[in-house]
Amino acid sequence: MSTISNIGAVARREFTVRVRTRSYIFATLLVIVGVAVIAFVPVIIRYIDRGDTEQVAVYVGPSDLGTDPVTTLTMLLNAPTDTGQASEPERPDFAVTRVTDLAAARQDVVDGTFTALLGIERLASGELDFTLFTDANAAGRTAALVRQASNTIAFADRLDRLGIAPSDQATLFGPASFGVQWPDPARTEPIRDTVAMVGRDILAFGMTVLIFMIILMYGTWIAMSVVEEKSSRVMEVVLNAATPFQLLAGKVFGVGAVALTQYAAIVLVGGAALLAQGPVASAVLGEAGTATALPEGLTIELLLLFGVYGVLGFLLYASLYAAAGSLVSRQEDVNTVVLPMTLLSTGGYLIGIYAATGLLDIRAGWIVVLSQVPFVSPFMMLGRIATGVAAPWEVVVSVGLLVVFIGGALWLAARIYAAGVLLYGQRPSLRAIVRLVRVGM
Amino acid sequence: MTLVIDGLRKRFGDVQALEEVTFAIRPGEVYGFLGANGAGKTTTMRIMLGFLKPDAGTVTWMGQPARTWPRKTWGYMPEERGLYLRMPVLEQLVYYASLYGVPRGVARKAAIDWLARFRIAEFADRKAESLSKGNQQKVQYIATILHDPDVILMDEPFAGLDPVNVALLKSAFVEMRDRGKTLVFSTHQLDQAEELCDSVAIIDQGRIVTAGPTRDVKRSTGHQVVRFATAGDGDLAWLRSLSHVTVTRPGNDYTELRVDTGSDPQAVLRAAMARGADVLRFEVADPSLEEVFVERVGKLDVEERTLAAAQDRS
Repeated sequence: MSTISNIGAVARREFTVRVRTRSYIFATLLVIVGVAVIAFVPVIIRYIDRGDTEQVAVYVGPSDLGTDPVTTLTMLLNAPTDTGQASEPERPDFAVTRVTDLAAARQDVVDGTFTALLGIERLASGELDFTLFTDANAAGRTAALVRQASNTIAFADRLDRLGIAPSDQATLFGPASFGVQWPDPARTEPIRDTVAMVGRDILAFGMTVLIFMIILMYGTWIAMSVVEEKSSRVMEVVLNAATPFQLLAGKVFGVGAVALTQYAAIVLVGGAALLAQGPVASAVLGEAGTATALPEGLTIELLLLFGVYGVLGFLLYASLYAAAGSLVSRQEDVNTVVLPMTLLSTGGYLIGIYAATGLLDIRAGWIVVLSQVPFVSPFMMLGRIATGVAAPWEVVVSVGLLVVFIGGALWLAARIYAAGVLLYGQRPSLRAIVRLVRVGM
Repeated sequence: MTLVIDGLRKRFGDVQALEEVTFAIRPGEVYGFLGANGAGKTTTMRIMLGFLKPDAGTVTWMGQPARTWPRKTWGYMPEERGLYLRMPVLEQLVYYASLYGVPRGVARKAAIDWLARFRIAEFADRKAESLSKGNQQKVQYIATILHDPDVILMDEPFAGLDPVNVALLKSAFVEMRDRGKTLVFSTHQLDQAEELCDSVAIIDQGRIVTAGPTRDVKRSTGHQVVRFATAGDGDLAWLRSLSHVTVTRPGNDYTELRVDTGSDPQAVLRAAMARGADVLRFEVADPSLEEVFVERVGKLDVEERTLAAAQDRS
């Protein structure tokens, strides 16, 4: 039987047997539901928030104010903040009402008609005096917004008293002309804004975490399944039909396909949920469909490289996990024997994460060198690409090195596997393993 | 045109598992490979199948190195039974056959036929773990032959089977032989070998002690066995006085005697007649395989050599 079709048959069994286990289906459904919920969180929050208009009363003592405080407050309280979106005009966050009786209005706040009452008086010094009457937190959002708005009203009042016309005041408060440029004069492409950069970094970070999780989780899974075949003694039955290399490769591809299926489901559901947000939001909230965009910085290039590094990193580690699994014959011993791979991947992952988040200098020479090392590169290159410090040739070289190492790892793993699968009893020493690889069984 | 095992040597660490293993199996025969635990049966089979590399020696089938033949030439039933416990029976049978290149539909049909013959058709879609040991063993046998191999190697196929299933398995063996397949099985149940095997080899401590057609092996000791009975509780002490005759098994029904090489068993009968004894039974036979084995190797249940432990150390 040809190698390819046998690898296919082994992979097919691995895949079908695993995918239909109850625990796998349950875990996948759980994760899918989780992803959908997370994707819909903005809509859910807005749904909970909707119609929540706070009633704020204003009592204006002095009659000589140049601008109406009610207008200023309404505008400033409902202004877009840097943490959230502007509230919709038809359903504002705050409604501001002018009251004339301070004592009655205070009672209204106590009764709950208003959530807060702002009293404005003029002091003997000529300055305005603001007092907020509220049961809510003095350092809360409402209080903070009202305080900001009060500052603006006070500034305007001071300028009025200095004789500056309201029309001039607009110019006075206009923003400064400010620009950001690349330090390198040769770079001409437009500089990225914060949102795009942070978005890219977070995406690269998330992808690195995913790659690490896939390798760790499914790698252990492969080792377990090798040991299962040994401990159930089915190994010798299949060993007569297929070569150790076919069994090893089939297992790696089969479990790899299981991992891919799970993550494809997550990505599809997550993507669909993101795209469905607009229609769902308008259906649930009854608004005109809000434009929903893909996350900032999610480019085809980054997605593609995520796939490349994810798959190659998995293949490299998975073949070694399988080889390690073949060395023991009991499930209890699996964790011990896969420890080298676990340490290696965790180390690479941590360095990659530290470099991407700035805890380590991502431009340092040793980081650049390390990011080419095949066991580490899947965890480092995405971060370096996202921050824009990786030259295209670095990507090409690291992928090439990965491919070469996968070939070597498969060869080595098949040698260990061929000898290890017939090995029962105690775990062999390192010297014995080296001997097995050199001379075979 | 034979399966030739020539000069195999294999060492695991400080244990010489195979010293010198040479024998030949003719196509279409049932061959018994006899030895105590740890004598080297499994190691020899694993080398024949190419799982292990010998330190020296070769295995050839029809003049070509065994390893160069397609995998579907070989069927193997390991001593340690192994099935995917959580996988349905029929599905895993189809899987094993597909590894040998048998189309799934063909494998499925053949597997269903065999399951019915072994009277376990109703377990086809059950997980293997829900089957009894005996039924698992039947599934194991189907897995061994489903791809229609030319040479079938089985390591202790009868171990752990009840008499009914032993009979079923034997009839399946005979059928495979009639289809022209070559069957090799190891066993330490010598009566099974004697009943089934055209030829046998006896292995002890990594060496072939004797090998050849079962009849020749049985005669190789040179002596013959006489089973003898007379009417009444006759005093048989006179038997002991005969030269070249040893009483090996005095019994109520009959007495078993060993007649040394070169002596005529008929001498016993003549002596009895001369004494006027009423002879009820007089039978000349070859010694049983068990007797040959005991004579050549010693006790059957010799202490198990710890091959597995030696493999771990290597």
